[in-house]
Amino acid sequence: MISATDLRLTFGKGTPLENPALRGMSLTVNQGEFVTVIGSNGAGKSTFLNALAGEVLVDSGQIIVDNLDVTRQPTHKRSARVARVFQDPLAGTCENLSIEENLALAIKRGQRRGLTTAVKKQYLEKFRDSLSSLNLGLEDRLSDKMGLLSGGQRQAVSLLMASLTPSSILLLDEHTAALDPKTASFVLELTTSIIEEQKLTALMVTHSMKQALEVGSRTVMLHQGQVVFDIAGKDREGLEVKDLLGLFEKQRGLEVDDDSLLLG
Amino acid sequence: MLSEIAFYGALETGLIYGLVAFGIYLSFRVLDFPDLTVDGSFPLGAAVAAVLILQGWNPWLATGCAALAGMAAGAVTAILNVKLNILNLLASILTMIALYSINLRIMGVPNIALLSEETVLTPWYDMGMEFHQVPVLLFLIVVVVSLILLWRFMKSETGLAMRATGANARMARAQGIATGGMVILGVALSNGLVGLAGALFAQSQGAADVTMGVGVIVIGLASLIGGEAVLTPSTVLRALIACVIGAIMYRLAIAFALNADALGLRAQDLNLITAVLVTLAIVLPGVRTNLTNRFTRNKA
Repeated sequence: MISATDLRLTFGKGTPLENPALRGMSLTVNQGEFVTVIGSNGAGKSTFLNALAGEVLVDSGQIIVDNLDVTRQPTHKRSARVARVFQDPLAGTCENLSIEENLALAIKRGQRRGLTTAVKKQYLEKFRDSLSSLNLGLEDRLSDKMGLLSGGQRQAVSLLMASLTPSSILLLDEHTAALDPKTASFVLELTTSIIEEQKLTALMVTHSMKQALEVGSRTVMLHQGQVVFDIAGKDREGLEVKDLLGLFEKQRGLEVDDDSLLLG
Repeated sequence: MLSEIAFYGALETGLIYGLVAFGIYLSFRVLDFPDLTVDGSFPLGAAVAAVLILQGWNPWLATGCAALAGMAAGAVTAILNVKLNILNLLASILTMIALYSINLRIMGVPNIALLSEETVLTPWYDMGMEFHQVPVLLFLIVVVVSLILLWRFMKSETGLAMRATGANARMARAQGIATGGMVILGVALSNGLVGLAGALFAQSQGAADVTMGVGVIVIGLASLIGGEAVLTPSTVLRALIACVIGAIMYRLAIAFALNADALGLRAQDLNLITAVLVTLAIVLPGVRTNLTNRFTRNKA
């Protein structure tokens, strides 16, 4: 379980560019939930994810993961509990390391690293098994450099890496946004199947309302650094994009002016 | 042509600079950390080894202390960068400048002669080997052992974490790697190797001098880049071997340039030749691809 309470964060405090990104954001994600997060540009989606991961530290508020207060912990200390896939397919892997070396980095996520060989023989079978589940033929290319793979392949491997060791929460930051539609739907399918199979708790930020309703068990919408609505279970079933828009307008008395939310 | 003595001399210094190139490979290539501390940690290693040898220490022990001193200098640079957020290049320049004073303090005088002292080379001379071959053989052993250790380290869990830190720090953090700690460890290791090189250089040249570090960074870079031009560094092992090849090639090129009377070059032209060689090493691979492209385009 992961719970964020009254998170506040302002970028560039005291400068003309002062930007309050989080303004009292609270959200609790229960064990096994798959939450999709939507919101217009500047709503605080990425900042919220970065705050959960530890890439940015909040000004005030509290973040609890599995009964442990991680609010002041930097990224690497949280990494045993928090797994992550980035939006940029190049960001989640190291292009000048081989596929097996990237996986070997991930299999030790959040653990002590010693002086024994990183790519151990007993890992290889596991690597091959998980790679073959992608059906991309990568299981025969373990020693190839990551940089030889396409964006979609790299994003698929990033997903594998994030799920190679157990975590309390998997953070997905618009991880299909930079891919072409066909690859994006492949990676999304892969995501849902991995989450279901391993019964992961996940938080997925997406730019598409359609996607947000299609996958997952709960949808949250952010606006101006706060949660404006949170919908799950029966209320969420059969909901369409236009219902979501109506909900949003009712809640805020606002018009949605971000076209990108309606498209896609 | 080169005399036999000049040839062995070039091999000897080439091997020592191979250690420097390892260090520069670690900082510049693995960690992507442009580190100029080496201009200070090279004479630091020489100073520490020379002073300890003069005080009657075992020369290997003195050499080990020199490497540790180099590591400490590297750690200072990295800490200035990681903990105090000083730009990496500037942090290394600060340490380099500070080391000039520190080296003078350690030695007490600007120059220490080691000619009649017991060094790591002395026992070998006593075994009756050829005078100019001894340092080559001994330094070759040191370089090969360092290469194997470094290679194994780079393949270890910690070494892989260090490579990830330099290649993609955000990804490294997400995998639970304390990137700051990795930078400190890596830059320390890098300067430890350079300190070791400085200590061996002082013992083979028979003197330690505060000014002997000037331009070490450029020579090390020249070796690294030259080696990479000859042997594509597609794996860690190849990259490390390229460092040694580059360093020896560089010293041979220098020895050849200085010995070829027809060129009319003198010892004082050394830095100019170095600068020209580095420029060529950086530019030539690009020229080669340009030419290849031109030819293939014409064919098509």
